[in-house]
Amino acid sequence: MSLLLRRTVASLCLSVFFLTSTAYAGGSMDWGKKIAEEGNGSPGSVACMECHRLNGGGMPSIGSPRIAGQTAFYIEHEILGVQKGTRYAPVMAGVVQNLSKSDIRAVALYYAGVRTPKLPDVSPPDPALVALGKHIAQKGLWKKNVPACVLCHGPNGRGIPPHFPYIEGQNKGYLLRQLVSFAFLKRKDDPQGLMRGISRRLTQRERKAVAEYFASLNPPATSSHKK
Amino acid sequence: MKIGPTLLVLASGLILFSGSRGLASPALAQEPATFQPPSDSEIPSDPFGNLVRKGERIFTQTRTYAGKYVGNDLTCESCHLDRGRKPYAAPLWGAYVSYPRFRSKNHKVSRLGERIQGCFRFSMNGTPPPLDSDIIRSLVAYSFWMSRGAPVGVKLAGARMYKMPPPHRTPDPFRGKKVYAAKCALCHGADGLGTTSGHDVAFPPVWGPRSYNMGAGLAKVSKLAGFVKMNMPLSKGSSLTDQQSWDVAAYVDSQPRPADPRKRQ
Ligand code: HEC
Ligand code: HEC
Ligand code: HEC
Ligand code: HEC
Repeated sequence: MSLLLRRTVASLCLSVFFLTSTAYAGGSMDWGKKIAEEGNGSPGSVACMECHRLNGGGMPSIGSPRIAGQTAFYIEHEILGVQKGTRYAPVMAGVVQNLSKSDIRAVALYYAGVRTPKLPDVSPPDPALVALGKHIAQKGLWKKNVPACVLCHGPNGRGIPPHFPYIEGQNKGYLLRQLVSFAFLKRKDDPQGLMRGISRRLTQRERKAVAEYFASLNPPATSSHKK
Repeated sequence: MKIGPTLLVLASGLILFSGSRGLASPALAQEPATFQPPSDSEIPSDPFGNLVRKGERIFTQTRTYAGKYVGNDLTCESCHLDRGRKPYAAPLWGAYVSYPRFRSKNHKVSRLGERIQGCFRFSMNGTPPPLDSDIIRSLVAYSFWMSRGAPVGVKLAGARMYKMPPPHRTPDPFRGKKVYAAKCALCHGADGLGTTSGHDVAFPPVWGPRSYNMGAGLAKVSKLAGFVKMNMPLSKGSSLTDQQSWDVAAYVDSQPRPADPRKRQ
């Protein structure tokens, strides 16, 4: 099926209506996909797919995150954060400034609705780090006041919509970079400073370990991410 | 809390004193470090160890392993954080060494098994498993194992919930509602009913039909205030002021929840 044809397939729009409030206009999904594919048409605008792919799988080689199936709420929140400068995003900051609020909503809706399999990561998981990471992820490091990651990111890190993103099956380069930028207080869009506090209390080895662990899992498969 | 020199002498050797706990709030900086329970790797691989591991599973996945005694969406760990290890969240290491104990709730000397039955009945809004059941025996074994090396008969720092000093102002649900919206709703939901991930309960309900009932410890504003002060928002214990903790507890406990089973009959 050609991309053009696909754009007119109404069932996609319908399923999106199911997932979200009616506040989103019917054409929003088409427009969102167009931004993903080509940008919004304003000068200097860049297509999201150059770094996140059309299906939202991201690019492990450059640490560009998988965004397929994150909630529309979260995607929107992050892009607004990038525009405001609260969300540390050295790569993306240059390419989202010209998006309007409705552009952001449309493209968020589009990526929240797509699914795509896991892409190969840059290196195979390191078993020693995975074991340590699994312990921290599932049981926490309470001596340092670090709760189990799964308490806030859901079972195996599959996300707790709408505020808590999935981290299961995300690529390792991206995960580690986020943890480091929380720890050094560059990324400051997390509600109540929760992630800044947690990441700061981990050592670099522990951060690597949890990144290896969550990257070793498969991303959440289905549409458990409603709202 | 002031620590008398006698207690310090008593405790030396048993409790490590730590001057700099970077993570604790300034208010707690002079408190002694709390008892360190043995680590997982020390659970023996024998029948006793199996009982301990079983106790831990029941404790953390209560619905799966003791479903017919559970009447809400909570697990034991929902309130006894870190698998029953966290200080000031009524840890199991503090429990084992302080029973049998006289309880004013029912005017009797209770054994640990009976105390656990109480949490099933009120906090889990369920039915107590029989005292000689596998479930109670496993939970008692888990508590016993965790208290290994803890001194008997002294109240350990961090045992039970934190006891709040009296509030300066009468706890006020209206002020508490604002605290709730700012600090709690993110996880427990503006409606207090908790949050799910797929089909699983992720953040537990703090009121409503699937939360603890009116007879539970946390249904008392002072207990809930002490729990919140030390443990909530998750990972940010002692970030609320005492007054905020009192107020938010008054708000949460003013919301609807299942009746006290002693009054339902
Ligand atoms: C030049 C590459 C590039 C382009 C183009 C790009 N991104 Fe990104 N994006 C990134 C990188 C890299 C990050 C991680 C933050 C950083 O380092 O900048 C990111 C982060 C994100 C995040 C946050 C993900 C999370 O889990 O927190 C979202 C959402 C996102 N991008 C959406 C978009 C959308 C929508 C577009 C198109 C309008 C877009 N991006 C265009 C590279 C890009
Ligand atoms: C107390 C709750 C809480 C705990 C525990 C927690 N997180 Fe988070 N985490 C959050 C929140 C909230 C966000 C979303 C921040 C935002 O909105 O930008 C987040 C975001 C993240 C992100 C960025 C995701 C993305 O797509 O950009 C990563 C990575 C992460 N957390 C890893 C972890 C790891 C690893 C652990 C365990 C060591 C952990 N978290 C424990 C609350 C928590
Ligand atoms: C809704 C919160 C909640 C839940 C759920 C809960 N408890 Fe409790 N538990 C409490 C409170 C509050 C106390 C009283 C602490 C105090 O006296 O300061 C307590 C006390 C205890 C004690 C005695 C502690 C001591 O030092 O005296 C034990 C043992 C115990 N609970 C076990 C359990 C078990 C086992 C479960 C699961 C079946 C459970 N609890 C579920 C709130 C809860
Ligand atoms: C970052 C998420 C988060 C925030 C914010 C948060 N909690 Fe919790 N809360 C939890 C989790 C997770 C548990 C269960 C812990 C477990 O199962 O290990 C819990 C447990 C509880 C419980 C005991 C179980 C129950 O459901 O009755 C109460 C009461 C509670 N929280 C009250 C509060 C109050 C009051 C606030 C605001 C001051 C608050 N929480 C803020 C995540 C949070």
